[in-house]
Amino acid sequence: MPRPQPSEITFSIDGREVKAPEDMMLADAAKLGDIEIPVFCYEPKLGPPVGACRMCLVEIEGMPKLQTACSTAVKDGMVVHTRSERARVAQEAVVEFLLINHPLDCPVCDKGGECPLQDITFGWGGGKSRFIEPKRHFRKPLELSPLIAIDRERCILCYRCVRYSQEIPEDYQLVLLERGAESFVGTFDGHPYVAPFSGNIVELCPVGALTSRPYRFRARPWEIEDAGSICTLCPAQCNTRLTVRDERVLRVLDRNHPEVDDGWLCDKGRFAYQAMHVDERITSPMIRDGGVLREVGWDRALAEAVGALRRGGSATAALAGGGATNEEGLLLGRLLREVLGSSHLDSRDGEAVSLPHWRALANPKLAARVSDLEFAHAVLVLDCEPLDDMPILDLRLRKGARRNGVKLLIATERASALDSRADAAIRFAPGRGAELAWALAAALRGEPVDAAAQAAGIATDDLHALADALRDAGREIVILYGERVLDGDPGALLALADALGLAEQDGGGLLGVPAVANGRGLREAGVTPNAGPGLGLPALAGGHGAREIARRLASGELTALYLLQVDPVLHYSDAELWERALARATTVVAHASFLTPGLREHATVIFPAETSPEKEGTITHPDGRVQRLRVAAAHAGDVRAEWRVLAEIIERLGGAPTPPTARALSEALFEDVPFYGGLTLDGLAGRGLRWPELQVSNTLSDAYEEAEPKLRKPLRAAKGKLLVGTYRSIWAAPEVAASPALAFLTPRQRVELAAADAEALELRHDEAVVISDGEREVRARVVLRAAAPAGTAFLERELEEDGANVLRGPHVTIRTVASVEAEAAALIAAEEARAAAETETLAQAEAEQVT
Amino acid sequence: MTQALLFKDIDEPNLADIAVYERRGGYEQLRKVLSMSQDAVLSELDASGLRGRGGAGFPAGRKASFLPKGDMDKYLVCNADESEPGTFKDRELMQKCPHALIEGIVIAARAGGINRAFIYIRGEYEEQAQILDRAIAQAYDAGYLGERILGSDVSVSLVLHRGAGAYICGEETGLLDSLEGKRGNPRLKPPFPAIEGLYGGPTLINNVETLMTMPQILRMGGNKYAELGVSGSSGTKIVSVSGHVQRPGNYEIELGIPSREIIYGLAGGPPPGRSVKLWFPGGSSAPVLTAEDLDVPYDFDSLAKAGSMLGSGAIIVVDDSTPVLDVALKTARFYRHESCGKCTPCREGTNWTVKMLERIEAGEATPMDLDIMASVQEQIIGNCLCVLGDAMAMPIGSMIAKFRGEFEKHMQRAQLTGASA
Amino acid sequence: MRLAVERWDPGEDQIEVQRAPEPGVAGGAYRAFGETLRGLKTTFARVIEGVHTIQYPEQKVAVYPRFRGRHKLHRFEDSDLEKCVGCSLCAAACPADCIRVVAAENTPELRISAGERYAAVYEINMSRCIFCGYCEVACPFDAITMGHDYELSDYNRGDLIFTKEMLLAEPLDQTPLRAQGE
Repeated sequence: MPRPQPSEITFSIDGREVKAPEDMMLADAAKLGDIEIPVFCYEPKLGPPVGACRMCLVEIEGMPKLQTACSTAVKDGMVVHTRSERARVAQEAVVEFLLINHPLDCPVCDKGGECPLQDITFGWGGGKSRFIEPKRHFRKPLELSPLIAIDRERCILCYRCVRYSQEIPEDYQLVLLERGAESFVGTFDGHPYVAPFSGNIVELCPVGALTSRPYRFRARPWEIEDAGSICTLCPAQCNTRLTVRDERVLRVLDRNHPEVDDGWLCDKGRFAYQAMHVDERITSPMIRDGGVLREVGWDRALAEAVGALRRGGSATAALAGGGATNEEGLLLGRLLREVLGSSHLDSRDGEAVSLPHWRALANPKLAARVSDLEFAHAVLVLDCEPLDDMPILDLRLRKGARRNGVKLLIATERASALDSRADAAIRFAPGRGAELAWALAAALRGEPVDAAAQAAGIATDDLHALADALRDAGREIVILYGERVLDGDPGALLALADALGLAEQDGGGLLGVPAVANGRGLREAGVTPNAGPGLGLPALAGGHGAREIARRLASGELTALYLLQVDPVLHYSDAELWERALARATTVVAHASFLTPGLREHATVIFPAETSPEKEGTITHPDGRVQRLRVAAAHAGDVRAEWRVLAEIIERLGGAPTPPTARALSEALFEDVPFYGGLTLDGLAGRGLRWPELQVSNTLSDAYEEAEPKLRKPLRAAKGKLLVGTYRSIWAAPEVAASPALAFLTPRQRVELAAADAEALELRHDEAVVISDGEREVRARVVLRAAAPAGTAFLERELEEDGANVLRGPHVTIRTVASVEAEAAALIAAEEARAAAETETLAQAEAEQVT
Repeated sequence: MTQALLFKDIDEPNLADIAVYERRGGYEQLRKVLSMSQDAVLSELDASGLRGRGGAGFPAGRKASFLPKGDMDKYLVCNADESEPGTFKDRELMQKCPHALIEGIVIAARAGGINRAFIYIRGEYEEQAQILDRAIAQAYDAGYLGERILGSDVSVSLVLHRGAGAYICGEETGLLDSLEGKRGNPRLKPPFPAIEGLYGGPTLINNVETLMTMPQILRMGGNKYAELGVSGSSGTKIVSVSGHVQRPGNYEIELGIPSREIIYGLAGGPPPGRSVKLWFPGGSSAPVLTAEDLDVPYDFDSLAKAGSMLGSGAIIVVDDSTPVLDVALKTARFYRHESCGKCTPCREGTNWTVKMLERIEAGEATPMDLDIMASVQEQIIGNCLCVLGDAMAMPIGSMIAKFRGEFEKHMQRAQLTGASA
Repeated sequence: MRLAVERWDPGEDQIEVQRAPEPGVAGGAYRAFGETLRGLKTTFARVIEGVHTIQYPEQKVAVYPRFRGRHKLHRFEDSDLEKCVGCSLCAAACPADCIRVVAAENTPELRISAGERYAAVYEINMSRCIFCGYCEVACPFDAITMGHDYELSDYNRGDLIFTKEMLLAEPLDQTPLRAQGE
């Protein structure tokens, strides 16, 4: 559906002539004339208005009754009075009604001071109450969930939260119970409201009925500072507003950016700020001394790191991840390429993707905006689970499908949360996203598909159905892909884009979801083995990708590793190889906030990493939007700016001097990356700029020649074994485990099975099992999922314990813990029996000898 | 005085059976409309001047003409959630003559170009629902419902849905929500149901009596029907008379006869020795009238002029043996209980009004509270999402205006004896 | 051409200026001694009035009942719970920004105040306080009032930050109050 292009009209409000887009709701249009109409239930983000609270009653000439401004679209020549006698009386009446059952406990209420009900009572209320009867009472405060407290006495029943639950994440958990004046908000089944996006209702609530438990009584609005920031816990890079008191972040609110987050936050982004101020966080440098990590001063740690890196020289490799900024990426590249003479640096898991592929993927003509997901004719979700990989897009896709009729097509290995919303969904064999893309491209071009479909593990009928759906949907199509689809053959995705003609469409294109928050920015800043800053030719050729780095570290060809906010043992696949690689490396220098397994065992020097509120610099959104991070809170403990640490190391190793301030460094970055040219920090301001939209952006050539598909062999079923697929849960992050409020969500390994497979293997739901690929084992609990594709077991990656990263696949066997223990017990028993028998024969022999 | 159209054969034994109904000339109008064009049916309805019998009194023909033309699924919903206190006409009609309703539904469906029809009946009407179930099955068997009715190209499916007993589900949009399986809350209008109603499709909603009148209109011809009654209120109306009268019940009258004739003539007036103190002319939502208004002609416009409304045509008579406070409290408690809670003035206003009336009853109120109560009613009227709030505020407001003296006397008496109350 | 300026009449505002005697012998003598004697007249007139000095700190100046001295926090007399709920309205009202409140939640096991929250930290920096009394006015629970103590000096500034315990405690010795009409 194309974006609406409303025409401009003029209407009169309180005697002012105001211009507004036609059909805008009066409550919004009034703001264009600097007139505020009070509202409670109206919230445009929640979809069509419901007119429930009646606060926005205004007088419109020519209409006999007062009208609700929230549901009246402005028309040309409309004459509106918001402060006429009739309107004023009605507004005062509604305020009086609302206050009837509202306790006046503002001094203890967390909303006090930033409460719309307070403000509107002050501005539009009558100033006195005639209600002397007893108010209604509830038990309070109650836990709506471990994160949210509900105070039903304060609720004014605007039912924003209920609408949110039904219209935005569509979980239908919140409902109004009872009727009339007895109504109250609760969950349908009485269970706590635990959902990935539950925290948004706290911000939606216009009174203090829903409050954040972690923020409970922490500060009052006049004691805090607001700081605009960006969440760097996932690639969504939602714009946030931080509540800071005494240099501590106490709360995270959304900072509505329609092109990024649409005004919502996930609970990870909203509550994981707590991880900034916990004891587990690394806040001073550490070195390994006598096999044990201990805290040291900066000088000592820097000297240690510099010495080790000097020894490592060109045998040094580097990996970056997490929320590392573009500037840090740039300095890491300089450190490796210019100072140490190595080009082995990467910011993503797997084998290196070639430079022409990266350049073709970054082509501005192929770039889709986030808001295109909402207005395109169709969206193809390819090999990613938005809810886990870039949560906020889950809401955006639902919005598009619900309100604008966007066709939602899903091609993933694992069942998706969006399946119920989708027009078509197909499942392919684990890890075969590239093959699926080839097959789909072939189907769209009318070429034979059998080989690719077989390699992807899908039925040709399903494939053609999906291709037909894509073809019939319309011209503007967005492909939302997980970057792991590039692993098999990066050309596949480009072929699919070509088959759909995405380069010619304004409202369509590609939108890639990287594995780490600033994956795109790090790549563009040069943290990729075969490209320098700006995807240009690197200063040094012959760099290796992450997987090859692991192999060479393990074999001893590389000796030192620099880790910028990444722990390959935790974050990358084949943890076992990385374990060996890190054990063999003589030097592992890391920037980290938490001691993850790989660092705990193998790091030689650890510098404390910054969290995003402490950082200064820029990061790049997956759709090319360069966004600016500003310092919102002081560094905790001894933490120093990471870019300064990198600059210091470069300087001590004799490299070229780094610009002295963060601002100058950002300017250097904009100079080094050609397509960032023209950006300035001031220009980025609070909203960022998309470089694919800049005039200077087209420095990437269109020249890309499609190669023959590289198809892997089809995965065959094996008797008694299942294919293994992995996924990363939204909650799999050290920040979640470290935040007291979120800790209850820390995932534990679970194996997702289809009912048929579980039956064949005689496994029950929640049974403890051991999953083995022949060499390595992972313990998990069985979870039966109706939508799980048969023949594949899905396990969670990136868990501190029992992460699926150790499994190599493609096949695994699943046995119950009980049977494994029984086997072990039987083995021991047999061994004992054998030993006993031996002793007996010996004894007998001895006896015989004696006789 | 009475004029029997709907009630012509109402006491015929076994009229609920299709054979008896057909013998008495039933389903003839259905056959007739199948051969008429949609516009011809609409113009007959328009000419009849039939106004909706459910409460709002909107011209039925015009309502049907609002439905957009086109090929989409369109819906007809028969509102049989007869929940207005004092109203029991639809119950008798459905119980005794269900086939007339089915015939009316097909006619209305033809007029609106509708292919799917629902009857939303209140849960308490289980007996009537069973009778309708049987009648619908008979009509399907006889080919009066379903695909290609009687070989024509008209198709109408009909489903009977039992509500769960909430007053608000008699409000048309609340009814639609309930029918869709949601909590029965009224929706914001516009969009009106004729444009976006059930499942987002164009929907025509009519009362049982309105639909049952349609076969009569076609039988008589719209212009002929319009001759009955008075200008602006044509035809006959079934009036449910209840309360302090000697012969309560349903009476079919020609609109425009004096109200006294209904209350005293047909229903026999209050028991001997008592006199009418106040009466609700159109269900409990209508502002009350007093004995002085008994000569007002019983039709839509005259009652509106007298400051009340005809509503669903349910006359509740209260004689001088009942304190007005009891009537007010009973009415207000009903509306507090039935308020859905979606919009503020209704939810809080009904609640507050009951609390104030309870204080008056307990002797804890002063005449100033009457002013507050009157102003609360004014704050409700016209400010709500649907008409439920107004439905309480109008009668309560009229009672305070017309019986202020009695309220004040009660306060004084209750204050004296109050401590015990 | 010059405009004729109307003479301005100062009316009631007219002040008669009394000038000292013109310079000369008599005038000089007056200047040397006259004024001095006039001053001394005032001085000696006070001698007979008696001693005004107060023997502070043994003796203290009594203050008026509405004197705004050091703040006091209060408890409920029956339950011994703190009246302060930690709402920070005093901090918001304070023009000198000298109050810091950090609230926390009461639990069934540990109930400090009557409401849901209580002040875990309540500090007033007396070196900044201007004793305007706005905190007292802002308090919705009458938890803070201005007391009568005015002895607020110390050897270092840190000791002038009064904590909740100090503000809740009764002062060691009572400041004397002036009786009515005194």
